[in-house]
Amino acid sequence: MRYIVTHRTLYRYSSGVALCHNEARLLPRRTAWQRCQGSRVAIEPRPSLSAEREDFFGNRVLYFAVQDIHRCLEVNVATEVQVLDNRPFEPSSPSLPWERALRLLRESPDPEVIEARLFALDSPFVRALPEFRAYAAPSFAPGRPLLEAVAELNRRIYKEFIYDPHFTTVATPLKEVLKERRGVCQDFAHLALACLRGLGLAARYVSGYLETLPPPGQPRLIGADASHAWLAVYLPGEGWAEFDPTNDCMPREQHITLAWGRDYGDVAPLIGVMTGGGSHTLEVSVDVAPQHELEPER
Amino acid sequence: MIEASLSRPAEPSPPGDSVLAGYPVAASGYDEMCSAPGVLRAHWRALAQVLENIGGAELERRHAEVQRLLQADGVTYNTYDDPQGAQRLWRVDNIPLLMTGEEWTALAAGMEQRSRLLDALLADLYGPRRAIRQGWLPPELVFAHPGFLPACHRSLPEGRRWLIFHGIDLARGPDGVIRAYGDRAQSPSGAGYTLENRIILARALPMLYRDAPLRRLASFLETERATLASLARYNPESPHVVLLTPGPSSPVYFEHAYLANYLSLSLVEGEDLVVRDGRVWLKTLGGLRPVDVILRRVADPLCDPLELRGDSLLGVPGLLQAVRGGHVALANALGSGAIENPGLAAFFPALCRHLLGEELKLPSLPIWWCGTAEGQQHVLTNLERLVVRSILPDEPHWEGDRLDGKSRLALIERIRAAPHLFVGQESPPLSTAPVLEQGRLTPRPVMLRGFAVAADDGYRVMPGGLARVSTGLDTLQAALQKGGISKDWWVLAPTPQPHVSLLRQAYGPIVATRDGSDLPSRVADNLFWLGRYSERLDGTARLLREAFGRLLEWEQDNTDERCLDDLLDALKIPVPPVAESPRARFFALRQALLSALVESEHPSNVQALFGGMLRTGRAVRNHLGDDSWRLLNRLQTTMQNTPADLGGRQARELLEEELMLVAAFCGLNYETMPHHQGWLFFDIGRYLERVLRTLDLFKLAFITARNPGLPLWEVVLAITDNLTAYRRRYRSALHPTAIIDLLLFDTANPRSVGYQLRRLQRDIGRLYRPEKSPYCSAEERLILEAFTTLQLADIKALSTLTHDSTSSSVELARLLEAIQKPLAGLSDALTHSHFSHAEVPRQLIDMRP
Repeated sequence: MRYIVTHRTLYRYSSGVALCHNEARLLPRRTAWQRCQGSRVAIEPRPSLSAEREDFFGNRVLYFAVQDIHRCLEVNVATEVQVLDNRPFEPSSPSLPWERALRLLRESPDPEVIEARLFALDSPFVRALPEFRAYAAPSFAPGRPLLEAVAELNRRIYKEFIYDPHFTTVATPLKEVLKERRGVCQDFAHLALACLRGLGLAARYVSGYLETLPPPGQPRLIGADASHAWLAVYLPGEGWAEFDPTNDCMPREQHITLAWGRDYGDVAPLIGVMTGGGSHTLEVSVDVAPQHELEPER
Repeated sequence: MIEASLSRPAEPSPPGDSVLAGYPVAASGYDEMCSAPGVLRAHWRALAQVLENIGGAELERRHAEVQRLLQADGVTYNTYDDPQGAQRLWRVDNIPLLMTGEEWTALAAGMEQRSRLLDALLADLYGPRRAIRQGWLPPELVFAHPGFLPACHRSLPEGRRWLIFHGIDLARGPDGVIRAYGDRAQSPSGAGYTLENRIILARALPMLYRDAPLRRLASFLETERATLASLARYNPESPHVVLLTPGPSSPVYFEHAYLANYLSLSLVEGEDLVVRDGRVWLKTLGGLRPVDVILRRVADPLCDPLELRGDSLLGVPGLLQAVRGGHVALANALGSGAIENPGLAAFFPALCRHLLGEELKLPSLPIWWCGTAEGQQHVLTNLERLVVRSILPDEPHWEGDRLDGKSRLALIERIRAAPHLFVGQESPPLSTAPVLEQGRLTPRPVMLRGFAVAADDGYRVMPGGLARVSTGLDTLQAALQKGGISKDWWVLAPTPQPHVSLLRQAYGPIVATRDGSDLPSRVADNLFWLGRYSERLDGTARLLREAFGRLLEWEQDNTDERCLDDLLDALKIPVPPVAESPRARFFALRQALLSALVESEHPSNVQALFGGMLRTGRAVRNHLGDDSWRLLNRLQTTMQNTPADLGGRQARELLEEELMLVAAFCGLNYETMPHHQGWLFFDIGRYLERVLRTLDLFKLAFITARNPGLPLWEVVLAITDNLTAYRRRYRSALHPTAIIDLLLFDTANPRSVGYQLRRLQRDIGRLYRPEKSPYCSAEERLILEAFTTLQLADIKALSTLTHDSTSSSVELARLLEAIQKPLAGLSDALTHSHFSHAEVPRQLIDMRP
């Protein structure tokens, strides 16, 4: 599938901001299943300085500084992305029993496997407390193939938790999410990570977008989409299998990948530190436009 | 080793005569001085002889002298948990710790290699990560340690070194071998204290230090200075190097100020710096000044709220990006805290072979990381002879042999739950060294902190370092918080070395910056407030002294005491209700006055005012002369020793003493500080405060007084120290017009409003202004308005007050009001123009997990 993804962020300040430094992780990664034809970045007011680099996790980071006094900051990123239907795993893929995967993860001398062990450790937003391990346990019967077990965990989170955008914030502890069985995609991804890491498995947080399909017969609403988050679990020597607990599926062509890391903290789309500004308001809109709408396939 | 008998065994010295007599050497341990009871190691012989010649009593006297010098110099170690900011005095033992040149050469080679190894390791961990990918280091050990910061990945431009200054903790075991047990890279403290120890001991014990055969420290610091300068990408001739400190609340702020002074660096805090155009700038009175190199003493995660810890107020947003651009160099690089991970040492021998192609020279104290099955097995089966530590900082450590059954099981459970977070380390008894106690040498366990600094080829190791008395493998911080004792560590040289003064050597080409426009705005701000607090303290103490004086006079001679009520008003002390008897009134008044001395919540509390003075003084320590600083320390001692059950007479004496010290402090500043921008702000602070107080006093005496008239006027003259001047000039009874002339109009009288306004006007006119504008600045306009108002006043209209006048003068009230109004805006105007009180940078979104 081809898309044009437009992500617009607008900050309005009650008083002038004299200086701000920012980091945007809004440029989609290039992967074996995702091509980025090009991005158009428009920042208003114009930054005095900007630089793109790759971070520790291989994500594309755009640093920029606005040095003129401003009352609002608008960051507009539009990217043309092609998502191929060749992600390495699908629900029916065979996989090792999860305990064997665990042993391989610990013992394999393969550098790729060794490096993946980073994602089995606690991270600032995800601490593998015993209650998460306990929640995961029923899905991880002895000898069960890893993908099957994770898929079931994924489904349980989907079924047992209520999607509630008003319940949590970035700061809501994961324990609270487990206790109240409520949250948003970010919480469900963190929860799944805590469960998997609690078992010793390596799993990472993925940020991106999801094409939302309009109800049959209705036009697509522009800007109604939002950032999305899911996770990927590591199969030693084979690669990363993605799961979306918010939608009970394994991502395919509709999931557009932005960045990945240990948790949300590593991949927040836009962070910044400013001097001045008083109070501020924030508007974010995301639009995932399938390309065929704009440009019929030839 | 050649050893010598201290005294012939046949004729032991009679006990009591000798400082070394009965020096008990433990049979199983290692003593630095004696190989067996009464048997000195050869390299201690000369020193022992000198100590013997000096004698125990004299050594004790010298020790007191050392402590006095330390106190006078304000050598302190702050403890965080003290709300009053009380500082722990640095303690130094007189007796140096000796090491032979041969032993040190071997040790230094090992330390040098360790520095190279850790530099190479940092470059690898924040780059290709071969050590992890090849399996030389387990990823859990590196990545679970909070010192490893993913944001710092590939943040140093090619060819830059990660580790510039390296602190290594060392200890000697019973077998005589010196081993390393820890590394410090983020803020490796101790070098400044080492220098200060040496300087002070050399002052107090010249007979010991003059021409002593010990390696001097100066060349090491010269290397550090040269290395820092060499890191600059721009201005190789005179790079701008700053020392970034967390500020006066840091436990080791003394050292930061000391090193900055010694190495001729600007001492700055995070809010002094700003990143613009990809470069780091210092905010000064003259505008932004580029910074080339930062000697950093702020912990890694706090240095950049954009990419590291977002809630840090100590850092500089955008700093890491400026580092990536190569426009600024940090010593040490951000992320170097990764090598403070205690578990790494278990892998050093193999890492050294892989990364350097060398065999490890300096052994570490044997350590096992519980993240491997074998390591965990070893730690759990040998628990009672190991110290278990978490690799996370700020966690306690567990001494295996001291655990009871329950805590032992709890610990084992914790290890099993997260084995990769724990290490077990052997903890052999530390070697002992002689410490002076009650005129005798007594063996006490010691540990060492050594330092290495990058040089063109590898690293240079400081010949000596900080030795400290310790009971176990404490961190330096923990030991100092407990008030540990430090020692000077000598490395012996074959021949006597001339004592080179370490103090204040000017380095490199001096760039004349006489106008002081490069003064950091924060420093100007603090000097301004130092001036205001000094004057506020002075004014309050004068009022209090006068009040106590009147109180005591009244008690003795039954004089008119009604003016005391007005004095209480001036001090913002509630006037006690009408008492039944004079005696009851006396006690009520005394109690009310004493409250200002001892109750810290009181608005006129002299302690709180002094607290403000000390806080601002500490923040500008480098801008005060040594003697001014000593006066501030003496004032602190006087304040701290205020007894809680003070009498009136004692209170007056105490205030007398405090007034003298404040006056001496301000006078010394006038005498010793160059009258450049910094001093101007101090002076403006003082005179602004003084003129405001004088005007208040005027209002009180002539307009709002409860009991106006002669006694009160006399008090006013006494408070302003003008009674003598008045009598000399007028030789007559007090008359209000004469008082008004002396205290309002006489511009030659430093206590008069006229003088104070004129001085403020002159000072403000000399302040630096970035852009030359033909118009007056806001502060110039305000002071002009105040001074002109005074000059245009009609003294005849004010002279309606008569000797027995009790009605207030409308004219005078109007005049005072008209002078006060512009002055009230002056402080804000100065703040706005010069201190750039930019708001603290804030996060766009709160990212705290």
